[in-house]
Amino acid sequence: MKSEPSERLDPRARTLWRISAALGTAPFVGAGAGISAFLVRFTNLPLPIALLPALAALALVVLFVGVLPPLRWRWWRYEIREDEVDLQRGIIWVSRTLVPLSRIQHVDTRHGPLQRWFGLATVVFYTAAGANHIPELSAPIAAEVRDRIAALTGEQDEL
Amino acid sequence: MSSEPRRLHPAAMLVGALRTVRQWVGALAAGGAAAIFGGGMRFTVFLIIAGILVVVFSAVWGFLSWRATRYWTSAGAFHLRQGVLQKNERTVPLDHVQSVDTVQGVVQRLFGVVEVRVETAGGTAGEPDASLSAVSREAAEALRREIEGYRPEPSEGAEKAAAGPEVIRRLGTRGLLVAGATSGQIGVALSLIAVASQFLDNFLSERVLARLYEFLAPTSVVALAALALVVGFFAWLLAIAGTVLAYTGFTLSRDGDFLYIKRGLLERREATIPLARIQAVQMVEGVLRQPFGLAMLKVESAGYGEDAGVSTTLFPLLPRREVRKFLKTATPEFAVEPELRPLPRRALRRYVFRSTAVFLLVGAGIGLFAFVNFGSFLGFFALLLAVPAAFYGWLRWRDAGWALAGDSLVVRTRTLARTTAVAPRRRLQSRGISLSPFQRRVRLATLHARVASGGGGATFQVVDLDRSAAGKLVEALGPGPARLDSG
Repeated sequence: MKSEPSERLDPRARTLWRISAALGTAPFVGAGAGISAFLVRFTNLPLPIALLPALAALALVVLFVGVLPPLRWRWWRYEIREDEVDLQRGIIWVSRTLVPLSRIQHVDTRHGPLQRWFGLATVVFYTAAGANHIPELSAPIAAEVRDRIAALTGEQDEL
Repeated sequence: MSSEPRRLHPAAMLVGALRTVRQWVGALAAGGAAAIFGGGMRFTVFLIIAGILVVVFSAVWGFLSWRATRYWTSAGAFHLRQGVLQKNERTVPLDHVQSVDTVQGVVQRLFGVVEVRVETAGGTAGEPDASLSAVSREAAEALRREIEGYRPEPSEGAEKAAAGPEVIRRLGTRGLLVAGATSGQIGVALSLIAVASQFLDNFLSERVLARLYEFLAPTSVVALAALALVVGFFAWLLAIAGTVLAYTGFTLSRDGDFLYIKRGLLERREATIPLARIQAVQMVEGVLRQPFGLAMLKVESAGYGEDAGVSTTLFPLLPRREVRKFLKTATPEFAVEPELRPLPRRALRRYVFRSTAVFLLVGAGIGLFAFVNFGSFLGFFALLLAVPAAFYGWLRWRDAGWALAGDSLVVRTRTLARTTAVAPRRRLQSRGISLSPFQRRVRLATLHARVASGGGGATFQVVDLDRSAAGKLVEALGPGPARLDSG
């Protein structure tokens, strides 16, 4: 197996992931802070213990917003070879998947509201066994990747 | 090929009527229960009248919907027109048709007719795209011929078709009973019994039960043991009954490029599997079957919406040593039985650790708890549970293996049952490896390969192959000309 796929995701992916993680963890921060405030005001628990929920929520934010996005970006790589799409992803468990172009049924690009704001897009390609994603490519590159996969898929159809 | 619009068999009226009744029964049952427990005479009378009305309405509706239903084939498509008030005409292009199955429910059996289900590749599992509730056997055959005759593929199969399907194997009564006895469905049966016992509790008064206990066993230990034995035995019988219901008369036959499966005691099911759609074959050796050299065969077939959803039983029980011969006649592409490559020795430690970790933790927890609370060391005996767990880990390690046989990937793993899967290279939708930090340190990797199955896909996975061997295997399984040096 070749050492690593050549292409990386768009660098702005990290910022986008951070924002969406911040949005995702916001309810926990609110809940943690609320519970701590309640404990401090209405109970006689020692301060460090009363602050525990808020600190736990904070740790969650540090992990999901601070630590994981750059790690995820570092491992995420892809490459479109002449006969296969090569994907590598993961944070702690890193997996490598090869999808023959001849198995790909169709390709889409998708962009959510946040992605549109950043000018990013996700390429989704479907095989009979489910969908595969290449997230957070800059929109023109995503379109190019989509068209390239589609063109190569057509060529390989006779296989 | 095309045909005139045809009607269903008149038995469809009854089927339709019963279906309508069934829809109303839920509502009526709630009222019925209320009438029995609380309501007075008047309420009961009202319910009876409502019941009669429902039956009459259902009968009329059954007749009307039978009259409104027509089906035919024309210009490369299957048409079904139905609907009493809201007319609805469905057109299914014939080359999209995945399978034409016939099912025989109790009502259909009474009239000697069948239900025909026409399924397409995009159809959702469990719900056929077009269903004809009652058709005579001849009409069903004619329809199947019209639909399958259209298919461009079986050109050479057409001559063979004249000879009719050839039976490959039939499950005899003895095989059926053995399959039930070793099915390992006891867990399912046990939970059924648990539910049933809740109901029984309401009927058997406590005094009767107490007397029964006294009579059966003087001490509670014996009583418990006896109860466990009886329940276990009953669950086992139930498991056998379930198998008998599902697999009585299991017959696999082949006609050119199609496999036909017939099975079932009360509801006769017939299914068609085009050979070209089979993605992988799995041999499952259950814990109770492996000692007797018995196995069950399953197929993963693409976009095939049977009730099992992802995979269908190809044959419920046959001796392991006959599997290869059987597959040669049924699905020749999958009849490989290569020497498997074992996992490296250094993977054994990880396998044993994975299966014992939970028991060690729980055992230590129980031990500590007992020590702290009762000052006794006896709790640490719970750690002994880790011994059989370690044996299981060793077993999993020993049984795991892989091979590249000809153009097929063969992997064997064990999760209680030992499963060997065969998937041709050209059927793999994707494959790859994954590494955890621990695996990276000892140069091991997890191999995974996906094939299409049912509505989605199925994954075959082997944990802890040698990393470079796994990398080479993934390359060798790639598209293009075979480039394998491993075998």
